[in-house]
Amino acid sequence: MQLGFYFDQSRCIGCYTCVVACKDWHDVPAGPASWRRVVTIEKGKYPKIFVAFLSLSCMHCAEPVCIPACPMDAISKREEDGIVVVDAEICLGNEDCGAFCRDSCPYDAPQFDAEDGAKMQMCNLCIDRWLDGKKPICVEACPTRALDAGPLDELREKYGNTKKIEGFNFIEDNKPSILFKAREPELL
Amino acid sequence: MQHKTGDEKIIATACSSHCGGKCLLRVHVRDGVIVRIETDGGTESQLRACLRCRAYRQRLYDPDRLKFPMRRVGERGEGKFERVSWDEAMDTVAKEFIRIRDTYEPSATFFLGGGGDNMQLHRARLIEGLFAKAGGFTAWWGVHSFEGGLYADMATYGTTNSGSGYDDLLSSHLIIMWGWNPAVTIHECNTNWHLVRAKESGARIVSIDPRHTDSTATFASQWIPIIPGTDTAMLLAMAHVIIKEDLHDQGFLDKYTVGFAQFKDYVLGIEDSLPKTPAWAESITGVSAAVIESLAREYATTKPAALVAGIGPGRAAYGEQYHRAAQTLAAMTGNVGVHGGWPSRSSVPPNYGGYEFKLGNPPQRPDNPVEHGAPSRKYSLLTSVGSGSSARIHCAELADAILKGRKGGYPTDIRMLFVMHTNFANQFPNINKVVEALTSKNLEFIVVAEQVMTSTAKFADILLPVNTFMERNDITLGGATPHYGCVNKIIEPLYESKSPLEICRELANRLGFPNHIDKTDEEWVRELVKGSDIPDYDSFKESGVYRIKLPEPKVAFKAQIDDPEKNPFPTPSGKIEIYSQKLADMNNPEIPPIAKYIPAWENRDDSLAEKYPLQLITTHFKRRTHSQFEKVPWLRELQNQAMLINPIDARPRGITSGNKVRVFNDRGETVISAEVTERIMPGVVDIPQGAWYSPDDQKVDRGGCANLLTRDKPSPGGAFCYNTGLVQVQKV
Repeated sequence: MQLGFYFDQSRCIGCYTCVVACKDWHDVPAGPASWRRVVTIEKGKYPKIFVAFLSLSCMHCAEPVCIPACPMDAISKREEDGIVVVDAEICLGNEDCGAFCRDSCPYDAPQFDAEDGAKMQMCNLCIDRWLDGKKPICVEACPTRALDAGPLDELREKYGNTKKIEGFNFIEDNKPSILFKAREPELL
Repeated sequence: MQHKTGDEKIIATACSSHCGGKCLLRVHVRDGVIVRIETDGGTESQLRACLRCRAYRQRLYDPDRLKFPMRRVGERGEGKFERVSWDEAMDTVAKEFIRIRDTYEPSATFFLGGGGDNMQLHRARLIEGLFAKAGGFTAWWGVHSFEGGLYADMATYGTTNSGSGYDDLLSSHLIIMWGWNPAVTIHECNTNWHLVRAKESGARIVSIDPRHTDSTATFASQWIPIIPGTDTAMLLAMAHVIIKEDLHDQGFLDKYTVGFAQFKDYVLGIEDSLPKTPAWAESITGVSAAVIESLAREYATTKPAALVAGIGPGRAAYGEQYHRAAQTLAAMTGNVGVHGGWPSRSSVPPNYGGYEFKLGNPPQRPDNPVEHGAPSRKYSLLTSVGSGSSARIHCAELADAILKGRKGGYPTDIRMLFVMHTNFANQFPNINKVVEALTSKNLEFIVVAEQVMTSTAKFADILLPVNTFMERNDITLGGATPHYGCVNKIIEPLYESKSPLEICRELANRLGFPNHIDKTDEEWVRELVKGSDIPDYDSFKESGVYRIKLPEPKVAFKAQIDDPEKNPFPTPSGKIEIYSQKLADMNNPEIPPIAKYIPAWENRDDSLAEKYPLQLITTHFKRRTHSQFEKVPWLRELQNQAMLINPIDARPRGITSGNKVRVFNDRGETVISAEVTERIMPGVVDIPQGAWYSPDDQKVDRGGCANLLTRDKPSPGGAFCYNTGLVQVQKV
């Protein structure tokens, strides 16, 4: 079974509630490490403008390139739900290793705090919340209900199989576990 | 994982920040410390909190919270204080209040209580009630956010209760977001959720705004940029099209309104030989005549349609006329009192629309003796209880009134200022004048009650530390899709901070009114609940919310439209007043009896534009509620405080994104980063309001505070003019 995300770009207002809820739930301090990020995509010239938002975290790829990139085998993919996890005890940290995982990931999922020797951290799909029967904190936080998470095949059944939206490159080799709804570029 | 859910106690509470969301929080507590915050996880429609409350833990545990009462030891504004005891602080406040009352007069004390804590108990009325008992005080009038909208509501509908539920937008086939950006301002926690659903059920959404906002981006299929301050001209031109093409709902106008004939004469130019044609409006608004014509036809022929007049365009010179014009169009198209229509401005519940909440008796607030016998202001429309008293001072003019007093035509000479729930030296217009007032010898005593060291707090003679809503009990009234929120005390107050209720009690004891606050906040909440719709206090407290179940979305004025005989509008005529005789009787061309376009001061045609060629608007910011939450690290890292400027204006000034720029006019100067973007129209710059005023020794603000530049003169009907003003921008 593979757990994954669904993101509805037509609903996202770019409010960052998912980002902050994630930092609060996982006690991630203010700083460069942010397990979830909101990106604004702007195209066009005044007054014909297209703007959309993208809320992304680690997408727990079916073929995660971060795993072979790690010299210490600190990253693994759980068999039961496909969540990609990092063992901070094993991770050498950004200084000693050079953060190969971050360089390998096309989606900037591996995150490091500012201090020297910071260990890699990233979205763990709220493993602790699934155990309590709850969806990830970002999903339950979204004011416009633009995020969902669950078994990927169930998400596909519910929302379709859209992989391409504005601002996102779906890399088939990695197979990120995410599905989308696109926002129509109505203003262009 | 640092915290495991099983070890934590979860307490429900209701947010009561100034944003109006009133969202539900589930706060995780371990050993008396808040460790996480979740939101509503129950059945839909959940009351989901926004980013600001999700970061509240960092605001609550901010190491810079005010910890103890303090007395000023440096100069006013310098921020130098020494710790004193609560007894010493409150003895001083009481002594000074009595001295000023007895040496001068009761009106020499001005109580400035704002909306910073949007709850029912811990609010300004406590101190107002106490001061009224103790001889009186001078109060303010003028609601910063939407006094122009309130004025228009009173003129047109005879009540400020003009709000429909945002869930009613699901019935609209066309939604015009006029200067309305709920993706940022929210107002009610599910506004954006309702808009998502309205869009998905097929409503066409149009955004009219000088900026391509995040709401424009997400919801709108058409963006119509408009020159700030000219909205009324476009609305009048739409009326012109509708009248010329006979698209108005004459049956509705005949049955429910008065004065359409006079309005028609004005729009067609019969009154003043100036037809308000789309071509006329194009030259003023920058919107092409074709676009105006097309939108006018669409609005008149799409039934029902909601023209939601956001309150930002009303925070401008003659902002009242914009709201009046929007209401007139709603009446012309029969979009008042029907599902899917919209009668007025963006709804700001609960006090200005939506469900009529019931509550038990709050602490007393007797009439203010200072206002006894004071005649009404000549031009007042009584937008709130007592607001028309000539003994009051308009909030925008407070600094001017402190400086000039009776000699300047104000009702009193202010000697003492008590500030609570508001940030005078940041959020009021013309900060340099505010600073001049706060440092003037006229003010003999200033007391500020605050949570953190705001720029206003730095001017206090006595500074009182106030706790947050996580540290007290209260009740909130949420939404036009209504609910009562239970504000539960989650933790004991930090440091020596006290609640507004406790501060008032301390003062009441010293002023000889020991019974003014005779209950704890929890006992008061019980009293309030007793008179409410809430059936059971304990389950309310447990769940943090009581939802009103309405059979259908709330529609303002539905009763008046469904049965006009039985339910006349509370206007003098009993009808919707497109023409107001009351305004006509005031005989003031600046507040005419019908909606009129009156060119604003400091517009593009003003000769001042040669010196200051850019129009400034001051908008809301996601990571703040006005000036609140500014220092919260989790929020601060999300957005840079920056001035938005179009490349067309940036290029000749040599400005690229990230450059520091000076923004200035004759009132002041602020230094801020520039963000060059296609998302703002040329000729307009936007400084998000609420950043903290941080002056250098040349009185130049280094914090990007917009109000160094805004003008403190209110519009003739009382609207604040935060979005009317000219500036120049220069690369540092």
